[in-house]
Amino acid sequence: MTRARWMFAMVAALFVSVSCSDQPTNPGSGPGTLAVRLTTPHGDDGAMTFQVNGPSIESASVNGLLQLFTLRVNDSTLVGAVIGTLANGAIITLHVPDGSVAAAYTATLREVADREDALRASLAGYALTVTR
Amino acid sequence: MRIAILAVLVLVGATPLRAQTPRPGSWQDAVRRLRDAHVGHAIRSVRVAASPAAIIAESEPNDSIRTADSIALGDQAVGVLNPARDVDVWFVDLTEGQLFSVDVDAQVLGSPLDAQLVLFAPDGRTVLAFNDDFDGFDSRISFRVPASGRYFVLISSFGQNGGSPQARYALNFGTVTCTAVGTEHEPNDSPGTATRVTIGDSGTGEICPVVERPAGDVDYWAITAQAGTTLDLAIDAASFGFVGDPILALYAPDGTTRLAFNNDFIGSDSRLQFSITTTGTYYATVANVLGFGDPFRYTLLVRTIVPGPGDPITVRAENLGIPLGLAVGSTGDVFVSDVSGNRILRVSIAGAVTTFAAGIPSPVSVAFDASGQLLVTSLAGGVYRVTPQGQATRFITDGIFPFWIAVAPDGRIWITDLGNRSLRRYSATGQFETSFDAIGIGQSGPGPLAIGPSGEPYVSNGTEIWRLRNGRFERLLTDGSLIWAFAFDVAGNIYAPSPVAGTLKLFDSTGAVLADPFAVGPDAPQAVAFGRDGTGATLVRVFAIDPQVGRLFEVNPAAVRQRGLPGYVTPPFSLDVAAAGLLGAGGLSAADVQYLDALGNHNGRYDVGDFRAYLRVLQGSNR
Repeated sequence: MTRARWMFAMVAALFVSVSCSDQPTNPGSGPGTLAVRLTTPHGDDGAMTFQVNGPSIESASVNGLLQLFTLRVNDSTLVGAVIGTLANGAIITLHVPDGSVAAAYTATLREVADREDALRASLAGYALTVTR
Repeated sequence: MRIAILAVLVLVGATPLRAQTPRPGSWQDAVRRLRDAHVGHAIRSVRVAASPAAIIAESEPNDSIRTADSIALGDQAVGVLNPARDVDVWFVDLTEGQLFSVDVDAQVLGSPLDAQLVLFAPDGRTVLAFNDDFDGFDSRISFRVPASGRYFVLISSFGQNGGSPQARYALNFGTVTCTAVGTEHEPNDSPGTATRVTIGDSGTGEICPVVERPAGDVDYWAITAQAGTTLDLAIDAASFGFVGDPILALYAPDGTTRLAFNNDFIGSDSRLQFSITTTGTYYATVANVLGFGDPFRYTLLVRTIVPGPGDPITVRAENLGIPLGLAVGSTGDVFVSDVSGNRILRVSIAGAVTTFAAGIPSPVSVAFDASGQLLVTSLAGGVYRVTPQGQATRFITDGIFPFWIAVAPDGRIWITDLGNRSLRRYSATGQFETSFDAIGIGQSGPGPLAIGPSGEPYVSNGTEIWRLRNGRFERLLTDGSLIWAFAFDVAGNIYAPSPVAGTLKLFDSTGAVLADPFAVGPDAPQAVAFGRDGTGATLVRVFAIDPQVGRLFEVNPAAVRQRGLPGYVTPPFSLDVAAAGLLGAGGLSAADVQYLDALGNHNGRYDVGDFRAYLRVLQGSNR
């Protein structure tokens, strides 16, 4: 990839990488789980890296068909990679001390690769959202 | 079907019948010769009486066992093969232990007949010996009689169509007698009775079977050689005009340790070179590769040559059977395939030899895949994969006749398939991806292959090395002798074994010769690989195997220019380290990152696509 194309990809990623959250659907505090949901324009995603920020993140998990690798940057930042057949919907489960504050958490998509290992040049149309 | 037949022949050993012999110059033929070279040798020359006791004319019809004409030892049979397709059969009563000889005179008498002979056992069906050409077009069979009885000799024209009223022949029936020929002093069949020959001189003799030596004739020559020199021994039998197939070996001063061996350097004549590290008297032996057969004369030329920069070599392991394939693992151990022992041997850094895997039929080429498992091609067909614990299972089964194998930095597996002369590519997990027709590269290609610095496969077609670039084969270099399993250093220099020449050669990345010979110490090196340390990193050390003497050698490391290409061995880091590196925690070297990118999507950096590929390789799963 040329430098220009690379810069374009990065700028595009900044514009389209989505950091958003939904309002909690259930009031009340205490340990709980939040779902990180993927929106993708493609049907052949095979891997992604992401970053989650929030007040406190205890751990993260995925369903048995996916593989998750995480690195805790600090108490409020977690980065990770998910490998497997990715599709629209909940991908990651976050375990947090207070499940009522989903709005305080943001998830950012860093990279996506297809099932032939090729890196997506653009993340346009992708989104990660954190919900209860 | 033809390939299957060839494969069977390779496995069972060639028969004396020409029609069943693999095509001369083919890789199968080369392997067959290697196998046969260890199956017994030695013989001595046959003479028949100059004046026959009686001349017996044929009595037609005599074209079958039942109607065969009678003849006695010492007699001469005469006849004509007429009309076309005519054959004549003669029977003779022989005694156990006799060295029977039957010799055609036809061409020598001016006859147009190109004769061929077949010797049948007393049952009239079992073929004991066959010969087409010995003295020009005239045939001869020499044969040790295994049991007393009535034997049958059939004479026909080559191709069965040469019969005519002019196709006269004389058949001389007799027994072998050997007379002193040349400068040898019979009996010279042991180190203690060896005939001395000095460097720069030559010796002449005859390989001739005698009754007293049922194992056959072998001539010993004693040569005093100085440390630091390289002996060059050459046999010339062809110039005497007889079809003999001499084999040549060199033994240490103890008279029993075989140091080097050669068969068929030029045509059927043999030649070898060997670096002398200790001054002493060494023994050269000359024998007949076929065991008992027709006698032939020869000249043994004894010279010294200038060694290459890779000399002297050092023996790192021996008693390896007939090793044809060579690979170095990520812990520095060397793995060799023993085609005769159906096993893979592991040679530790300290030189200890153990059996790593057994039960792989006639293993040839070996290479480590990206998950650290050893891939092995088998002459029985298919590719086996061996776990680090030595458990072998069939891995790739869809090729016709996979022969050589290599693994690219991206983990992909490349195989030369002799069945359809193609180069086949598989994913790291063994899924077929594509194949490239390699018939166009000519000669016997595709043959041994290696992966170059750019990750592209390079393949030998015999005396040339070609590379596959953008789906097309490009010739890189042309040499004068056969090139077997070569290896690259990080600069792209090619270390190429030439078993026929008995040397290692060194070419640069453009194919230009840097050193020829690079080393002459190995007798007939078949495969080359770079050493690795305990972490899997390649070293500035080059190993070679020599199936003729069953040894693993190392060339002089001072002459090796660069470390080997890291290629196909998985870097020594775990999946967790790879994941941490992906997520920003560091821990990966620049080489690791380069490797991971090569394994994945080749975009110049390490990303989640590369990590996905690495995960798949380590877990051995399919996409």
